[in-house]
Amino acid sequence: MTALSPITPLFTGLPARADKFLTGISTVALLRLDGRSLLFDTGPYAYRPILQMRLKKLGVDPGEIDTVILSHVHWDTAANADLFPNADIVLHEKELAYAEAPGSHDADTPGYIGRALHRLRLRPVTGEPEIAAGVRLVELPGHSPGSIGALVGNALLAGDAVTCAADAAAGDIRYQRGYDGRARQSLSRALTLAEVIYPGHDRPFRVGPPISYLDDYVIRIRFFTDPAGPDEEVQVGSFAAKSFASWP
Amino acid sequence: MSAAGSPQGFSVKIDLLIPGLPAKTDHFLFGICSLLLLRVAGRIILFDTGPFRVRPMLIAALNARGLAPKDIDTVFLTHLHWDHVENLDLFAHAEILTPRAEFEYAASPRPNDWGTPPYVREILWGMNVTLLADAEQELFPGVRTLLLPGHSVGLQGLVIDTGEERAVLASDALWSARDAVRGVPDVAFFDPAKAQASLDRALASGDVFYPGHDRPFRLRGGSVIYLAQYRYHLSFPFQPFGQDLDLDISTESSARTGTLS
Repeated sequence: MTALSPITPLFTGLPARADKFLTGISTVALLRLDGRSLLFDTGPYAYRPILQMRLKKLGVDPGEIDTVILSHVHWDTAANADLFPNADIVLHEKELAYAEAPGSHDADTPGYIGRALHRLRLRPVTGEPEIAAGVRLVELPGHSPGSIGALVGNALLAGDAVTCAADAAAGDIRYQRGYDGRARQSLSRALTLAEVIYPGHDRPFRVGPPISYLDDYVIRIRFFTDPAGPDEEVQVGSFAAKSFASWP
Repeated sequence: MSAAGSPQGFSVKIDLLIPGLPAKTDHFLFGICSLLLLRVAGRIILFDTGPFRVRPMLIAALNARGLAPKDIDTVFLTHLHWDHVENLDLFAHAEILTPRAEFEYAASPRPNDWGTPPYVREILWGMNVTLLADAEQELFPGVRTLLLPGHSVGLQGLVIDTGEERAVLASDALWSARDAVRGVPDVAFFDPAKAQASLDRALASGDVFYPGHDRPFRLRGGSVIYLAQYRYHLSFPFQPFGQDLDLDISTESSARTGTLS
């Protein structure tokens, strides 16, 4: 018998790429433990109505979320923090300081994110506090100035310190370039902290060795090129592709 | 530039930077809306700014025309939905034209309005914003505003007289060409009745149509004749050292299949 996991993924991230636009398919997870409800990251704005719908399906009112942890403040993680009227917004104090004046060369941090966040009840943290019973924050800088993760039992919600299993397997930052050189150290450290990683842009996996995914995924995309015709639908997914025969 | 065929002696150039994409998923909103560049009366006007995900594409499209974001002196924001405003911070130096009704509504959007970020005023903060009255007007020679409420509280499009024809820049009042075929607005949750009237009005206001999330088109005998093509390539890794699934979304050929590479 395994205990019910306190982690409920609301969005499973994917390391998808497109030739012209940013995909930003990031991980969002609900944490329920000890009578509390926390959210780890909030996704891009493009998640908003789907995030609201998925919480509703789980019977979670946005007002019940008491804490929102922002692993970092990129466009694809912090855009929906305002949906939770009773939540403390927890982020690293260095990330907040950066959000107030992002570098103009920074292609992932909106110039207005600091002002948007300051509308909310912010709780900047430093060090590695336990912010709820059984939830300890860990500092994993490098992808952004103040990236953090959350350790929950044997699992680490890693944010983009671990973007995907491929980076974990390579021990290197390949999927997304980091903000500075600490990203590689933080990746290495993240992999020593837990048995299960919830990456920022991939399905959760066991560190192993061997690395193995816990979940499948499927995305349905509907589009049309003939306005007089029906929608066409493509399903993109792993379709139980959990065999790792090709892994080293 | 001289305006051949323009009796009024003015010239408005419409340049499609990014064609809107009529695609939906169950996991996220694409939000890729039509971004246009207008050159008129010595101004370089960006029509909508797109969702954050097209930021690199927008900058590349400007660069391909020898422009950088700082060269845009005017931004016309049709309405204040997330997928039209998220790149506004690239144009902090520009004059921002947007409907007064949108700006005032955005101070406190309806709770069930997931389109308008409650922090959109923070996006506009400190910018040089000119609010457009709730009345149609000629903004520049050959460029008139068109009131198209319903998709959002106070959406305004443009009708542009190029000297040869009238182009209707309808934004999301005409979400895609399918709205024209079906005669019904696709994304009209704010006020369906007004959205229907606005769709009808947009379709009656010109000869060439620029939808919010589709390519520009003409109507001929009720059929849609598209004026632009697009191609997107997406790649979804199955597993770190396994196969990717590659997906082309393209109007350039009929090949549009999910295949294992």
